[in-house]
Amino acid sequence: MSEFGLRLAISLTQIAAVMGIVVVTVLLLTLAERKVLGWMQDRMGPMEVGPYGILQPFADAIKLFFKEDIIPAGANKFLFTMAPILCLIPAFIGFAVIPWGPNWTLEIGGITVKPFVISDINIGILYILAFASIGAYGIILGGWASNSKYSLLGGLRSAAQIISYELNVGLSIIGVVILTGSLSLVQITDAQAGWFWNWYLFALPAPQIFAFVVYVISSVAETNRVPFDLPEAESELVAGFFTEYSGLRFAFFFLAEYANMVLVSCVAAALFLGGWQAPYPGTILELLGLPSLSWIESTMWFAIKTYSFLFLFFWLRATLPRLRYDQLMKFGWKVLLPIALANIVATSIAVFVSQQMK
Amino acid sequence: MASPTHSTRLRLSEWLKTITFYEILVGMKATLSHLLNYQPVTLQYPHEKRTLPDNYRGMLALLRYDDGTEKCVGCDLCEAACPSRVIRVVSAEVPGEPTKRYSKEYYMDMTRCLFCGMCVDACPVDALGMTREFEWAVYDKRQLHLNKQQLLAIGDRSFPIREKRLELQHPNVAFFNVPFKHVPPKPN
Repeated sequence: MSEFGLRLAISLTQIAAVMGIVVVTVLLLTLAERKVLGWMQDRMGPMEVGPYGILQPFADAIKLFFKEDIIPAGANKFLFTMAPILCLIPAFIGFAVIPWGPNWTLEIGGITVKPFVISDINIGILYILAFASIGAYGIILGGWASNSKYSLLGGLRSAAQIISYELNVGLSIIGVVILTGSLSLVQITDAQAGWFWNWYLFALPAPQIFAFVVYVISSVAETNRVPFDLPEAESELVAGFFTEYSGLRFAFFFLAEYANMVLVSCVAAALFLGGWQAPYPGTILELLGLPSLSWIESTMWFAIKTYSFLFLFFWLRATLPRLRYDQLMKFGWKVLLPIALANIVATSIAVFVSQQMK
Repeated sequence: MASPTHSTRLRLSEWLKTITFYEILVGMKATLSHLLNYQPVTLQYPHEKRTLPDNYRGMLALLRYDDGTEKCVGCDLCEAACPSRVIRVVSAEVPGEPTKRYSKEYYMDMTRCLFCGMCVDACPVDALGMTREFEWAVYDKRQLHLNKQQLLAIGDRSFPIREKRLELQHPNVAFFNVPFKHVPPKPN
């Protein structure tokens, strides 16, 4: 096999594995969200399909597959068809640069392969932010192409919201980038090795606690989740930008929202909580004399961090009511943006001073 | 009026609460405590059902005496008592017995019934009863238009223990509100 063919085969295998994990996670999330929300509100959640309702995601998937696909009269058919895909692809494509496990390299047929990251590009964070912005197009175009006032209002709201909050996401990340001196997620994660106080959330010389808070709030807003779910406010806009969507296209939007949640959680874990690094140096399996299996422990730590973020998403949804639109804008521009900017200044000064001291 | 130090302290504490998301954390603590002390109030309805109260007023039914004869004497009082005009009685003489009447036809339009129980109260011979059935959702509204046979069938399946026909009651005479001997008198 030629070198190109081998590279392609390896990459496709990695992509398939990552996509599989993400889709399975999304399936789990749809069930987990309904269950956790139910438990928090003294309900039971889905209980009918399978024991304790654990087969509910499959029932939902089958239902959505076989639903009639309706395109409303007067809709722009091309954009109406494009929008869900435009929403889904950026949500999934971001996982290409997320490091899931230790930064190992393998030699397969003379090719160097990193098994736990599909592509270690040196602008990883920038790439994720760029594609997240393209995802906003899917929402806006979906809202516009539906020929419905609810969809249009939802789309417009989401445009304003995503632009405002993406700024805060980008600015809150810059502190971490200054500390590492790299945009690559692999290098950012590697730089946080050792004890948990080396994670950028706590790391000297400039703990990124404020940036972390800004990032978490902005990422909740960016994924259109409660309490920032104005684009799909059920009580006002029916379902917001996907009011007119049904069947598989609706499933795409749904999948994109949950994939975005997973992506945002992965990025938060990688940037602020050390990614796949355990809170102690090295791994336990390595100490037990199984260094070739230590990736399992690292991956588990990554999963734990990501899932605790996802739990936070559910928890916020169970607790908080929706913000008013002007409150949302005021909070984004007048509170979070100054904090993020101040964090950049403080981090820069701290890094500069600590470099001069050396 | 509060002293300036007091109001300053108040403002400081409010400011601290704002920047630490104190109120949100209180709310999140409440939801988490519900998650940890999970006690659902849900009743899994088709699988488990509530115990109905003793005086539950469910589906209406026509009753029979223990010898299988209908209790209804066709007096039309239930029709008169019904506030929603659910009941329609076609009363007729028993052929060959001019003193005895019965309901030749008896219809209930249960789409209109509001389950007030006035017909049951009005009935002089206790021929009407309210069962504990409530699962009467149907696909066709006309299925709720019940005739006499259906109402008797409901009564048969809901009241397996039937009242004795009065011994002193002449088969040709309808007695109204006669105290039953086998029923203990009400304590006064």
